[in-house]
Amino acid sequence: MSPVRDFFSPVCYPINSGGLDRKGSGEMKDQIIVTIGREHGSGGHYIAAILARRLGIQLYDREILEGVIESSGYSRELVDQMDEKPVNLLFSRRIGEFSNSLEANVAEKTFELIRRKAERGESFVVVGRCAEQVLRGNPNTVRLFIYGDKAFKIRRLMETDGLSEADAAAAMKQTDRERRAYHNYYCDDKWGDCRGYDIAVNSGLVGVEESAEALLRYIRAFQEQRPPQNEPC
Amino acid sequence: MRKNVGDAGLFRTEARKSDNFRERKHSMAGAGDRGLTSEVRGPIIRSSSSKSTRTPAADLERKDAVMLAQILAIIIFLGMFLLIILDKFERHVVTLTSGALVLFLVFGLCMNDGQAIINTMNLREMFSAGFWYGGGGSGTTGVNWSTILFVAGMMVMVEGLGEAGFFRWLCLSLAKAVRYHVVPLLICFMCMSAVLSMFIDSITVVLFLATVTAELARTLQFNPAPMIISEIFCANLGGAATMCGDPPNIIIGTALGYTFSDFIANTGLIVAVCLVLTVLYFWLCFRRQLLRQEAARAGDIVCPQPASAITNGWAFAGATVVFAIAVVLLVTHAKTTLSVACIGMIVAALTLLNALLTKGAANVRTILRDVDYKTLLFFIGLFISVAGLEQTGVLKLIAQWISSVSGGSLIIIVVIILWLSAVASAFIDNIPFAATMVPVIRSISAAQGVDLSVLAWALSLGTDLGGNGTPIGASANVVGTSVSAKQGHPIRWGEYCKYCVPATVLVVAVSMVCLFIRYL
Repeated sequence: MSPVRDFFSPVCYPINSGGLDRKGSGEMKDQIIVTIGREHGSGGHYIAAILARRLGIQLYDREILEGVIESSGYSRELVDQMDEKPVNLLFSRRIGEFSNSLEANVAEKTFELIRRKAERGESFVVVGRCAEQVLRGNPNTVRLFIYGDKAFKIRRLMETDGLSEADAAAAMKQTDRERRAYHNYYCDDKWGDCRGYDIAVNSGLVGVEESAEALLRYIRAFQEQRPPQNEPC
Repeated sequence: MRKNVGDAGLFRTEARKSDNFRERKHSMAGAGDRGLTSEVRGPIIRSSSSKSTRTPAADLERKDAVMLAQILAIIIFLGMFLLIILDKFERHVVTLTSGALVLFLVFGLCMNDGQAIINTMNLREMFSAGFWYGGGGSGTTGVNWSTILFVAGMMVMVEGLGEAGFFRWLCLSLAKAVRYHVVPLLICFMCMSAVLSMFIDSITVVLFLATVTAELARTLQFNPAPMIISEIFCANLGGAATMCGDPPNIIIGTALGYTFSDFIANTGLIVAVCLVLTVLYFWLCFRRQLLRQEAARAGDIVCPQPASAITNGWAFAGATVVFAIAVVLLVTHAKTTLSVACIGMIVAALTLLNALLTKGAANVRTILRDVDYKTLLFFIGLFISVAGLEQTGVLKLIAQWISSVSGGSLIIIVVIILWLSAVASAFIDNIPFAATMVPVIRSISAAQGVDLSVLAWALSLGTDLGGNGTPIGASANVVGTSVSAKQGHPIRWGEYCKYCVPATVLVVAVSMVCLFIRYL
């Protein structure tokens, strides 16, 4: 495992150790965390917002950046610029836990914040930012991935962002390339590989709202039937 | 007769093996001789029989095999370098895999030469008395166990010093000595960074200095980034002054048989000149900014006391004594003829003994656990990969190219080596670069009849000082900028290069002038 990936090791919860919901906190007992990986244009953020509203919990997409700015002391401009951006491999080096890459430093501050929120027993929906890997081993986490057909995603981007078809296709390609590089740099599982998630949904098949409803039922079922312990990581 | 690698018909036969082995023994025995050249250290691929017995078909076959071995060695080495740069896998995994490929594909399949594998692993070296005592460098190709054991020993000592709170105590004591005034602190920390890096690896020095700087910056309310940049620069500069200051120097020293005193008397003096200029340069760059921040400071300050760094007085005293012993042994190792590998093992043993007596067996386990074994494995894989290039004659071809470009002029050769090393080290890891260039300068020295030591000092200064140019040029830069970022003060490429590129050009140019004045 690379030193980059070692970063995630503190978030693992050993089997029989009690995990987050066995530390005596009533709040932790009912904790639910939903992580959402998404392709650009698939409506991942929109689905996350619906789930957070229906579950009555906090949504963290760009909202997480406020916490990163506060905890790191970085400027808003820097955090905005480096958020979910892949490390430039030619201009960065890593020595153990140290990296000169600002992208990596912002990412690690973000991961720390997500982990701390989970450890405090907070329930939330978090979009992207390798959250499914950061919280790997947390028994209260449901890991989702939203994808879609190319035509559906382009059409949706044209509607939501007011882009031309060519611009929408280019934006989709560029953003997905960056998200893949960002995710795969920090994570063992590949971005979009269903084995890294609990459920992957094609939002284009039944529409974004229906997908959100289906996922909500899945999360409710998980809450009712959640296993006493997750496998150790 | 040993053939140039460019010659046709280069594989050995059984009939030639005994002669070759005698040559190699000669090479190992004479490793300490400065004048020892590639004439006795040339590629293992060599003439297998006299020309009169060769057939054209056999010659062609051998040529093909040589070329295939060279191409494979180059591909493996470049692949290794690329993977190190891309940072997708851990460095030691990359170099060890690369080393294994060299052993099996280049030496095994292409050269069909088991002796090359044995020579490259170089294990026999460790069982000779000369390896531990009696002077002389590693000299042979392949794994440089002197470097590895010395680095391992120093790692143990540094772990012991860190555990005892030595570095933090030293930083806080200096800060207290200058009454926490920021500009004198800048100068003190720059000097301390350079001096400590002469004996301790610059990564450790920068890690502790940058951490304490950031801590003091929070209390004293100044931006630590300029000070951390200055400390990084001076750490790399100080490392160039001695044999044990920077990994490239350890490799150069052990491979070519130079001592701590040789480095101090040559690169050390040049570094002293550069350090004065560097301190002046950064003082001019940052003094106004720091004075402004100091003037704007509000409220009383409560700084951490040096004594707070020491958790166990006996362990601290013991670790400090071990450090002093290490310094004395290194400074005098030309006289005592103790090898650096021996010194490394002595200080490691003393550190562990001190830990055992003052803190117990658990602390010994902690120190041993925290040693960076991955770096040691990285070195082993790297040396094998470089041996692939050396024994197939690729490095000799590079040496021939440099010689032909320079037209045999020592001045031009020194300029090429110094600036090529500096520019390359600004962007790529200077450890593999130095390991690769050592056989190259040895070949140039042999072919052109120039003083090997001048080339060695040029290589040392180029690789060590050039690493200052960018945030990725040296490991200390990465650690320093990362510590700054973790403490909330990210240092962008632009900011780093704005101050360090002119300073790097300055010190490399000054080094070049010093080399010209003193040696040419």
